[in-house]
Amino acid sequence: MTAPERELPFYQPVGDECELFEAAWRQQLPVLIKGPTGCGKTRFVAHMAARLNLPLITVSCHDDLTAADLVGRHLIGDGATYWVDGPLTRAVREGGICYLDEVVEARKDTTVVLHPVTDDRRVLPIERTGETLIAPKNFMLVVSYNPGYQHVLKSLKPSTRQRFVALAFDFPRPEVETAVLKQESGLDDARIAQLVTLAGQLRRLAGYDLEEGVSTRLLVYAAKLMAAGMAPRRACRTALVEPLSDDTDTVAALAAIVDAQFAA
Amino acid sequence: MNAYPVHPDAAVPLAAMETLLPVLFRALGGDPALKLKPAGGHGAHAWQDEATLYLPESIALFDTAELNRRLYLWLAALSAEPVDETLDWLNRNRVAAAACLARQPGLAAEYRSLVEAFLALRPEPDSLPDEQRLAELAVRAALTDPAREQPASANLAGLAPVPLWLHPNPPRPQAKPDAGANKQAGSAAPTETPDNGPRAKQGDKQAGEEKKVALTDFKFEAKPRWEDYLSDHRDNQGGGEGGQGDEEKGPRATGAIDGDDAPPATSGMTYGFAWHTENDDTPLGPGIKLPEWDCRKNALVPDYCLLKPMLPAGASRQPLPDRLKSLARHIQRQFQALTPERSRKSGEFNGPDIDLDRVIRFFVERHSGHAIGEPGLYQAWPQKERSLACLLLADLSLSTENRLPSGHKIIDVIRDSLALFAEALTASGDRFGLYGFSSIQRDEVRFLVLKDFSERYDDETRGRVLALRPGYYTRMGAAIRQASAVIAEQPAERRLLLIVSDGKPSDLDHYDGRYAVEDTRESVREARALGVTPFCVTVDQEASAYLPHIFGSNGFVVVQQAETLPQVLTRLYAQMTR
Ligand SMILES: Nc1ncnc2c1ncn2[C@@H]1O[C@H](COP(=O)(O)OP(=O)(O)OP(=O)(O)O)[C@@H](O)[C@H]1O
Ligand SMILES: [Mg+2]
Repeated sequence: MTAPERELPFYQPVGDECELFEAAWRQQLPVLIKGPTGCGKTRFVAHMAARLNLPLITVSCHDDLTAADLVGRHLIGDGATYWVDGPLTRAVREGGICYLDEVVEARKDTTVVLHPVTDDRRVLPIERTGETLIAPKNFMLVVSYNPGYQHVLKSLKPSTRQRFVALAFDFPRPEVETAVLKQESGLDDARIAQLVTLAGQLRRLAGYDLEEGVSTRLLVYAAKLMAAGMAPRRACRTALVEPLSDDTDTVAALAAIVDAQFAA
Repeated sequence: MNAYPVHPDAAVPLAAMETLLPVLFRALGGDPALKLKPAGGHGAHAWQDEATLYLPESIALFDTAELNRRLYLWLAALSAEPVDETLDWLNRNRVAAAACLARQPGLAAEYRSLVEAFLALRPEPDSLPDEQRLAELAVRAALTDPAREQPASANLAGLAPVPLWLHPNPPRPQAKPDAGANKQAGSAAPTETPDNGPRAKQGDKQAGEEKKVALTDFKFEAKPRWEDYLSDHRDNQGGGEGGQGDEEKGPRATGAIDGDDAPPATSGMTYGFAWHTENDDTPLGPGIKLPEWDCRKNALVPDYCLLKPMLPAGASRQPLPDRLKSLARHIQRQFQALTPERSRKSGEFNGPDIDLDRVIRFFVERHSGHAIGEPGLYQAWPQKERSLACLLLADLSLSTENRLPSGHKIIDVIRDSLALFAEALTASGDRFGLYGFSSIQRDEVRFLVLKDFSERYDDETRGRVLALRPGYYTRMGAAIRQASAVIAEQPAERRLLLIVSDGKPSDLDHYDGRYAVEDTRESVREARALGVTPFCVTVDQEASAYLPHIFGSNGFVVVQQAETLPQVLTRLYAQMTR
């Protein structure tokens, strides 16, 4: 099956993560990506899937996600029942990357179905149809989660974690973030430099006054609003300050930091 | 000294800005460990020392509140700038202001408005004697155009103060013998050696640095902090190999004896100190033997500690104190929202309602010939759907007697935190227990039962929380082991052990330094093995030197302003359990 030519989603490498990912893919090793929200995990996987010319099937995990949601189930149609593959099964059958986003949100009994496909057996037993699928060479499982202290109660079981090679992501360095903002928003260099300085300042507050540092995603939003003509203070308030906190005192302090960077 | 008019009507008190300024200061690169305090008695100047950022108690320099407010913002921003201590006062401030304005273009307009209003308050240069006139012109130029270079200034003595700049001669706690030489405000000579810790480094502080301390950075104190203000009174020096401890339980001696690993006694201060035995907490039962990790032997020594569950003395039934009521109401409302409406549980084997989805799925599966054995086809509303148990373990060592900059004692903040936490959890419906601990050597680890898991939180249990007093030392390992054992028995899917602490683990009998840290680390490991998630919330600003090693880099938070602990604790709990 030849996949159609796709446009490569823009991804600005931070280090050698693209090479590492590719090596894991060649060795048929599953990959775990950890990092704070909005630091480019999803974008990275989309980029690598396109680069390796693999179909990408993404599942956003949540605490109601059952094993059947991943593997598949029988449905009724026209007086008869028929089987429908879940996203994991589809990826195993057809090859490609199955990407489980925020995997720690899934219940522990759900993540257990990943075990046989993520060890050297690389098989997916489907209890309900009696089949056992053998994963093809171009099947790859990728999971991601945010390891921040807010999520300590939701960590993966060691027996699940230890089936993956892991890449740790963090907010990009200023040069990399500058390149990302430029590419994503088209804003002028001067204001991008100001946004990146501001990002560094807001990130100093992570863990003290803020639950998490400001994400690259939010910076992209702010840059886009500014590029579309919104006044910088207003754009930052809407895209950075308000999304970061509900606490009135904190919002006022963040606004003061923004105002110290961007003139009215 | 103060040459300027005062505008009481336009005055802005520091209290009105005290939540905003520290955040701005930290974000702009100021040392996050510094506490904000009002500068009293030193004129309207800003300065900082190793522990504190001082800002004027109130600013009434200008006739509008807006300008006075801007001056606060400016001083916080300027204070965050690294200072070149080798320059004279004028240039030190000029260079810092220029750097600050270059990095914070948003401040430029406000700074200009401040300078303009401020110069109007200063004396006309032409009205001054000759040498002062030149100095005044230099100050004006430096304020107006800080980026323009200036020669090291001549004598600025006698000039009107410049409250837009940092303190010319900040008071230093440990004054060097010659520190008095440059008393004159405005002396052009640098006043101190440039090496003053946090300020030297503040320029390159990175986000999260607090948490990323390498293990090699460990600084173990040789002695418990307690001894900072109580002289040594180790009542044995058995060598730490496990030979000591079984001896007399009589009144403990107050003679100063150094353990063999203790540094020489540094001060001659000796406080008489008697362990209060009457009016003591009530032991519950004979006590529990617990092991302790000996890192020198790399082994767990069984039955090494005796932990005594106790009820706090002097507790009586208490309603929620008035001062906590409105905050409690606020937090309760938030926590009621946590009690999930998703408390419906599907796929139960029995329950009051049929789970339609599952019934349909079941029939479909059966139709296809692959029915599963015994399907759960009912829905139920079990009592504790969040299936979460939380044990809060509070450090009640004597160091909690210490006062915070605001004047509150740490123990008061801990007491309030526990009280509010309990109100919040009662509203959420999660099962919880409250315990406290302190210790006096290995055979007296005092484990205060404030609210057992089986007890309701009511006036009785609240009374115990409100009766908390500081205890003795901090044998954290034993306390964590017992707390883990208690919470591990709770029927819940997730078990959170929240430890509220104010300092590193330490006790008298060689339970300090690396030994104490390693034992605590081991107890945390054991807790995890029991299916418990330990998490530490500390008010010790130095905690990043040892907590990552004990709890892992995501296993703790440092609360910057201890006074906010009650709010932080409940907020953390809400974040972690959602
Ligand atoms: N290295 C990068 N190259 C290109 N774009 C990036 C990069 N890092 C971040 N971005 C931008 O940030 C946005 C958010 O990234 P992404 O959605 O991948 O975050 P995420 O890590 O998956 O977050 P979450 O954990 O919240 O799902 C992207 O849409 C993209 O604009
Ligand atoms: Mg994502």
